[in-house]
Amino acid sequence: MTPEALRVAIAEDSAILRDGLVQLLVDRGFVITGAVGEPAALRSSVAQNPPDVAVIDIRMPPTFTDEGLRLALELRAKHEGLGILLFSQYIETRYAADLLADDAAGIGYLLKDRVADVSDFVEALERVAIGGTALDPEVVTQLIGATRRSDTLSVLTPREREVLALMAEGRSNGAIAQALVISEGAVEKHVANIFTKLDLPVSDQDHRRVLAVLRFLES
Amino acid sequence: MTLVTEDGEAPAHPEDEPKHKTVSLGVTDEQVIKVKELARRVLREPFTRRPWSELAFWMVSGVLAAVSLVIVAATMIAGIWLIITFVGLIIIALSLRIARGIGRFQRGLAHNFLGETVEEPNPFVRRPGFFGWLQSALRDRVAWRSVAYLALKLPWTLLGLYVAFSLWWDAFVGLLNPIFWHGDGNSGPMWGLLQNIFLPNRITGGDASFGHTFGLFVLGLLAFFAAPWVMRGFVTVDRLLIRTLLGPDPVAARVRSLEQARTTTVDASAATLRRIERDLHDGTQAQLVALAMRLGMAKEKLDDTDHVDLERVRELVDEAHRGAKEAITELRDIARGIHPPALDIGLEGALATLASRSAVPSELNFDVRDRPTAAIEAIAYFCVAELLANVAQHAHASRVSVSCAQSGSWLRLVVRDDGHGGAHLSTVGSSASGLAGLTERVHAVDGRLDLVSPPGGPTVVTVDLPLSA
Repeated sequence: MTPEALRVAIAEDSAILRDGLVQLLVDRGFVITGAVGEPAALRSSVAQNPPDVAVIDIRMPPTFTDEGLRLALELRAKHEGLGILLFSQYIETRYAADLLADDAAGIGYLLKDRVADVSDFVEALERVAIGGTALDPEVVTQLIGATRRSDTLSVLTPREREVLALMAEGRSNGAIAQALVISEGAVEKHVANIFTKLDLPVSDQDHRRVLAVLRFLES
Repeated sequence: MTLVTEDGEAPAHPEDEPKHKTVSLGVTDEQVIKVKELARRVLREPFTRRPWSELAFWMVSGVLAAVSLVIVAATMIAGIWLIITFVGLIIIALSLRIARGIGRFQRGLAHNFLGETVEEPNPFVRRPGFFGWLQSALRDRVAWRSVAYLALKLPWTLLGLYVAFSLWWDAFVGLLNPIFWHGDGNSGPMWGLLQNIFLPNRITGGDASFGHTFGLFVLGLLAFFAAPWVMRGFVTVDRLLIRTLLGPDPVAARVRSLEQARTTTVDASAATLRRIERDLHDGTQAQLVALAMRLGMAKEKLDDTDHVDLERVRELVDEAHRGAKEAITELRDIARGIHPPALDIGLEGALATLASRSAVPSELNFDVRDRPTAAIEAIAYFCVAELLANVAQHAHASRVSVSCAQSGSWLRLVVRDDGHGGAHLSTVGSSASGLAGLTERVHAVDGRLDLVSPPGGPTVVTVDLPLSA
């Protein structure tokens, strides 16, 4: 947990879920700056009491379609450095593509089910709050499915693609090593290969990871 | 003053007898009034606008019908001649397109001259591509009906022109005859129908006597007052032709209404699916996610080896338990919304269940001999469920009665409450699941829903459904 408590705003129209989230996050030592049920309320809450990260349900009143997504894009444009964790019952590839269109930093897109694994969820939220990425494995699967025909990634070996997929979820090298049951050194080698093969410039490592993920998503 | 006679009875007054009995030749006042009325009408008719516009219509539409029948017949015959070369088909198609236009024009004439408003037939639906056009044009029932109209109209018009128009001519010649009687044996042309019948040339031939002229004048007068009615007879038949052949095709109208009903049904079922999805999404799914979250939190608390906060874990498990029970209830409600299990035991049992669950005390009368089809039973069930819910929510009623009775091949549901009334179709159910939604469902099976709800009550909703649909 971070030394200074992270500040979280929640927009979720289901009262049961909203209360549950507040309970869970308070329990984990987060500060809740606002817990609201519709887009306009979040907009003013964020303006008055800026959080580090906003958890936003995609389907909200009035039309229950993609209000949350549009709100997320709007808040990102207005408040620099605000982390956004979109929260949804379903994964829509198009939404993910819209959201990640120019920058995957400080973006998360998770299925609501993920809150059941409290630690993973809290970890993902923290990652997004400090400018990282957290994509649901489901999102990644769908994106890989959607991009199978493209040959941008065909230069990668299957193992490298696995590593890239986990990177896209926002995992660290350590977490990737754990997930694939290989050494951290092996992961570093794969990551370096991915950078080379995808022709990514040598620069700040974190930024390169984000670029690799974007390349992966764009392809 | 009343004098009492010897035998104590009031004297009889002959004046007290009803007068009309004795008035003229056994005809009652009413009959006299009727005859006068008729005579007035006959005498006035030639001076009203109507017979003249009918005459104008007859001439204009007659000329037009002659010209258009010539065009249509000529192109048709040419088309049939050339049919072997395929160009024939195109010519016939073009001819039909023209016929449709002529039909529209004739309808317009009837509207302008006769005030006969005939509904527009179905518009021409053109399929894509040249062959699509050809096929649609050749199969255009409206156009074929226009052709039939023209074919019937022309002989009728000619007959009308001869009979009715010549009556007008008789009137014209006869009435003007005294003025133009020069006494030179040439009293004007003898073209009229009546003259030919009553004053054939061989009898009157060239005779310009006073008797002859006077005879002509009387005949002209007769013709003048008879002509409007004869003309009207011809026009009435033409109106009938226009209505049946140039109006909407009854078969097509039925098809259109069925298409509308089908669209409503499809929309309604899409709306139902969407509502179920929404219910699942907002209710059960959210409930289950919250439940899993609480259990996840409880699990983590138990894993905390240093200090297990049993109190908190118990709270979380309690909440999860409550959530699970709520999710089960919600799921049951949603399932019941899709297909009420109560219907499996029949409509009567299902309605009895609904009535017993009603928040407002209710009674049910059920008198149905033949079992309706499953779809009708479901609609009847949802109607009663929705109406009872409305009564509970809006009516402030103390009693509600539900009756479900069969009359012939129809099922009639009546829900009556003693509440404060003032319900409207638009206000009672604004959402798709409300009364408006019910009305749509009922219309989709050709049923009816009537709402009578005067301010102060009572509110009576009557739903008629066919037994099978």
